[in-house]
Amino acid sequence: MAIAHGEKLLKYLEENGKANSLKLSELWNEDHQKIVGTVKSLLCLGDVIEAELHSTVKWDLTEEGKQVAAHGSHEAQIYNAIPPSGSTQPEIMAQASIPNASFTKDMAKVGFSKAMSLGWIAVDKSSGAPKFIQKVSSIQDVVQEHLKDLATGKNTLTNELRTEVVKSYEMKPGSSFSTSVTKQETDLTPEMIASGSWKTKEFKAYNLNALGTPVPRGHLHPLMKVRAEFRQIFLEMGFTEMPTNNYVESSFWNFDALFQPQQHPARDAHDTFFLADPATASDIPTDYMERVKNVHSHGGYGSQGYGYDWKVEEAQKNLLRTHTTAVSARMLYALAQGGFKPAKYFSIDRVFRNETLDATHLAEFHQIEGVIADYGLTLGNLIGVLYEFFRKLGIEKLRFKPAYNPYTEPSMEIFSYHPGLKKWVEIGNSGIFRPEMLLPMGLPEDVSVLAWGLSLERPTMIKYGYDNIRDLVGPKVNMQMVADNPLCRLDKHRGTEIKEPEYLQELDIRMDSIMTRLRGIENEVNKLKKQGKGSQEKLTLVIEADPNYPPLSVQTLIRILMASRNVPVSVTIHQHSSLKKACSTDLMQWAKSTTSNLNRIDNLFNLTWIWKSIGPRPAAKVVNHCNGDICGEAAVARLLARLLESWTDCAFYENYDLNTTAEIDDWLDMWESCIQSGDPTFVVLANRINNRLNSSDGRKWLIGSFPGTKSLADVFLSTLLGHKLNSDRAKEWLSRCNSF
Amino acid sequence: MPTISINRDLLFNALGKSYSEEEFDELCFKFGIELDEVTSDKLIILKEQGTERSVGASEEIIYKIDIPANRYDLLCLEGLVQGLQVFLGETEFPPFKLIPSQKVPQRLIVKSSTSSIRPYAVAAVLRNICFDQHTFNSFIDLQDKLHQNLCRKRSLVAIGTHDLDTVQGPFYYEALPPDSIKFQPLNQTKEFTASQLMDLYATDSHLRHYLPIIKDSPVYPVIKDSNGVVLSMPPIINGEHSKITLNTKNVFIECTATDLTKASIVLDTLVCMFSRYCQDQFTVEICEIETPQGGIKNYPILKTRQEKIDVNKINKMVGINEEADKVADLLTRMCLTATVAENGCLSVTIPPTRHDIIHACDVYEDVAIAFGYNNIEKTLPSTNTIASQFPLNKLTDQLREQLAQAGFTEALTFSLCSKEDISDKLRKPLSSIPAVHVSNPKTLEFQVARSTLLPGLLKTIAANRKLPLPLKFFEVSDVVLKDNQRDVGARNCRKLCIVYYNKSPGFELVHGLLDRLMQLLEIPLDPTGTTGYSLKSCDDATFFPGRCAHVVFEGVTVGVLGVLHPEVVTSFDLNLPCSALELNVEPFL
Repeated sequence: MAIAHGEKLLKYLEENGKANSLKLSELWNEDHQKIVGTVKSLLCLGDVIEAELHSTVKWDLTEEGKQVAAHGSHEAQIYNAIPPSGSTQPEIMAQASIPNASFTKDMAKVGFSKAMSLGWIAVDKSSGAPKFIQKVSSIQDVVQEHLKDLATGKNTLTNELRTEVVKSYEMKPGSSFSTSVTKQETDLTPEMIASGSWKTKEFKAYNLNALGTPVPRGHLHPLMKVRAEFRQIFLEMGFTEMPTNNYVESSFWNFDALFQPQQHPARDAHDTFFLADPATASDIPTDYMERVKNVHSHGGYGSQGYGYDWKVEEAQKNLLRTHTTAVSARMLYALAQGGFKPAKYFSIDRVFRNETLDATHLAEFHQIEGVIADYGLTLGNLIGVLYEFFRKLGIEKLRFKPAYNPYTEPSMEIFSYHPGLKKWVEIGNSGIFRPEMLLPMGLPEDVSVLAWGLSLERPTMIKYGYDNIRDLVGPKVNMQMVADNPLCRLDKHRGTEIKEPEYLQELDIRMDSIMTRLRGIENEVNKLKKQGKGSQEKLTLVIEADPNYPPLSVQTLIRILMASRNVPVSVTIHQHSSLKKACSTDLMQWAKSTTSNLNRIDNLFNLTWIWKSIGPRPAAKVVNHCNGDICGEAAVARLLARLLESWTDCAFYENYDLNTTAEIDDWLDMWESCIQSGDPTFVVLANRINNRLNSSDGRKWLIGSFPGTKSLADVFLSTLLGHKLNSDRAKEWLSRCNSF
Repeated sequence: MPTISINRDLLFNALGKSYSEEEFDELCFKFGIELDEVTSDKLIILKEQGTERSVGASEEIIYKIDIPANRYDLLCLEGLVQGLQVFLGETEFPPFKLIPSQKVPQRLIVKSSTSSIRPYAVAAVLRNICFDQHTFNSFIDLQDKLHQNLCRKRSLVAIGTHDLDTVQGPFYYEALPPDSIKFQPLNQTKEFTASQLMDLYATDSHLRHYLPIIKDSPVYPVIKDSNGVVLSMPPIINGEHSKITLNTKNVFIECTATDLTKASIVLDTLVCMFSRYCQDQFTVEICEIETPQGGIKNYPILKTRQEKIDVNKINKMVGINEEADKVADLLTRMCLTATVAENGCLSVTIPPTRHDIIHACDVYEDVAIAFGYNNIEKTLPSTNTIASQFPLNKLTDQLREQLAQAGFTEALTFSLCSKEDISDKLRKPLSSIPAVHVSNPKTLEFQVARSTLLPGLLKTIAANRKLPLPLKFFEVSDVVLKDNQRDVGARNCRKLCIVYYNKSPGFELVHGLLDRLMQLLEIPLDPTGTTGYSLKSCDDATFFPGRCAHVVFEGVTVGVLGVLHPEVVTSFDLNLPCSALELNVEPFL
């Protein structure tokens, strides 16, 4: 069919040079969709024809529109329904109720109001009951006319329409146009190769934009892939795998050997799966068991023991192991029996807890465990190994929290910073096995054993972004997930993993730069302090500032400095030749009043102040100190704050803890960035100060928690922005700052 | 890990300093406790009971703090504040003193009848104590915390505190038949017999948990004064008569126990924490305990221990290099007052609040904590070892890799399952299966350890029926079998299981995969079954008759393959034919 039409179409094209599918459908009296099908099949043949898709919007009448076109608009029908003598509304409405009436009651309602507003009809109340009468002698029903036009194809727009999008093809002959249609081959066949017919055939082009057919394939489970990574890491670090293929363990090896007392809550049936069959274990090494019993009940090996009545029945109870440390205990015991040699062991295997189940906890999970046994191992060693271990997982930031565990001492919980969750999360436990555990085994006294453990599921859930463990483990797992799971590359951060928001990275960078600067400043200050001490704390400072941008905060700080010190200080003020206009007396004398001794040699602090045309960033230089200028009002203020601290030993800036200092820096930085970003009005900053001071804690100063701490930030910002603040709190703050 | 709730303002007030939440969190972290949650009564009620109930509740901030399970001395505000203040170097650890009674010492006479139920009792008196509402609450809370933790829900130790001025010593601790005990219990208006109390408290949300400790005993423990007034019926309830109030001046504390060491620790902890409110601060009045054998022992023990600890050993164990005096300072900050002694040793005082210090290594840890775990230089051990894999795991991983390459997808199912999973559903009687049984499963899913991997894989198919056919899954993992050759009477067995689920059974496919595995393991097909592997037709209830064979390797059956019995298919909610192979991996090692 399509091909037959195709040849007809091609002939038409040959004769007319172009064709439109809609027109052809009219011309041949054929359904448009069929023509479109023909066009599409011709398109598949390659460049026989070229076709361009056009969408035209066609207007069509709705049922209501058709009615109006046939019988007139609602208002016109109402008009026509009113006899010259008039009629009451119920009478007219009654007409609408007649079957097959050209209008319905709803339409009549619309018609009444519309006809009234058009002024075609009116209400006559002169003869008692209100009557509708024709107000005009004739009407022109524009709506009906427009709709009639539309029905016949004339396009005059009204709201009575529904639109219909008609797609049609505009065609012209293609580069390999021919009027005969050859069917293209879909693919190469053995017959074509044998007969050589492939040489003359045309082949249908592949659609390279579609996806290929899925390859039948098998997959490894995501959790097992993560396990393989951990296994690899341990092997890279020289750890030997322990034989952990024994889920059933005795309480002895699971608890007693680890110096976990028999009344320990973990040994409750609430937490541990005990066995009904086989219920008890036999063959616990007798000597060793005796030593374990003694250390629990009476102590020994330097221990006080737990001082309770140790029962062998309790130790014999079989259970499903609650940790792989039970295997580590067996391994260490074996190590002691065979003549101790240093060893590094690891295991990754299932453990069982009779715990309450939730989205992240199952009754069984995989525990990862690492153990190092050697002479003279230290806690520092454990920390070092853990850093290396987690570095291989792409985790660099660790910190350690003291913790309690019955069989390790010291014990440390391992936390890593999770950039996505923006907090420190616990990722594992670690410690050094207690002597009460190791010595009864027969290990030499100077041998220490480091150990750490974590679950396999948790890092996997974080890695792949699961929030329910049942989506990862167990028979309910969607195996499509297993198929779609990517490679496990623990040191790479991509994909579904919760990512660090960008602003956090920015904040990190900013914090880093602040810290770098802080360290630089610290060095400066230390140098200054040393220099000060070596030369009786004498300091000569040259500050250059622009009279057009007087550094008010610097001036205030110098006043505070001079007031804080009952020692000779000299301030001389100069103006530089670069100034176009001489400085006012105010500017030239702002610090004169406190100048004491002009004999510079005796003074501890000599300040030379030079008004110079250098723009908004004042510069300070410590004389006889080879480092470059300190530029910018905030930087100079910081220098003076440090001087103040070193002279008076008060806390004002860096004498606070690092956090507070950083907070102060932050305020100064905000001011700096206002300058740089061209927000010379400081509206945002002023608002922040206002908000800070108005915060509900009733703070007195900008920095620290309630009531706050007076600091450089207060002096600096109150001097510079005080006039922009108007809240009551801010005013109180200003007066507090002024009385500093 | 116990969690204590502390009113923030009271805490900061006691510490003499305010902290931001971050600062306090940081301090906790360093000290080894954890600020778990910041909340208020209002928020708690809001969360648990909704908005309406929370109206009017206190909005004062409460810190919930996790305390390590062995630090009983930090379970109340008093202890926590003392610990932190000493840690921060702001105060010194107080000396606790035992003082004799000014008149006749209080005596608690333990009768031999208690031996069958709760044989130990200890006691102490806090004289001229002055409570306010907060300290009173804290006193009650601490008893509760101790009951929950160290006392193992009162099973090991139960504490009773009494207004000494309302009773008359000496006191008698004995065990009597329930019906001969009658008294007015705390917060009740009339007298009950012990048996009636058991009924009364059977529905009490708090007390009913303790009833089983004595319920079935023919005799119940009871403490009475010389006039026969019942002080308490441990470990259930105290008497109303001797109840302590805000106005109580002299507190008689008794602890009854099944573990004497723990009773003594509990008593020490309680008196150490609250003797600070006595007129004569940090003093405790001695009580005499008369044992059934007639001996007299004084309590509380309140023993301060001296230990000589080698500074060198501390440095070596922690991995730091600090002078003796510095180490002594560090220890002093952990409430272990230390002074430098001769021969590079420290003399360390272990106070009665630190019962967790039972070995030198506990002292090492406190040095490390005070030094700051995160200030310790990280170093790598010089331990030089050659790594090796566990051979069974290595083979397992190689086989898993091959099975995936053969187009099968790995499932990971649970080691525990229901009895039905391994028996009825597989058409086998449970008695025929050497399965390991759990004695205390909380649900059916944890009744037994699996003896076969098949049920887990069939459940996996059931959960994945919407995926396009065929479904091809495998698992190589351990099952558990009873084995009386082992010390624990059971062993793991590494199994390999594959399932094929489609509109046709696909036996040949599973068979083909077995051949492939044997090829990979370099095991030839040997129909005689003596040197290589072979298949022997067999009857196995799990499989369709005539569609099942044993895999025989060197004359021993190591596995089974076949088309599953339709009843097995349907019992796992499946409806298509399914073939399976289950093979013991261990013989191929």
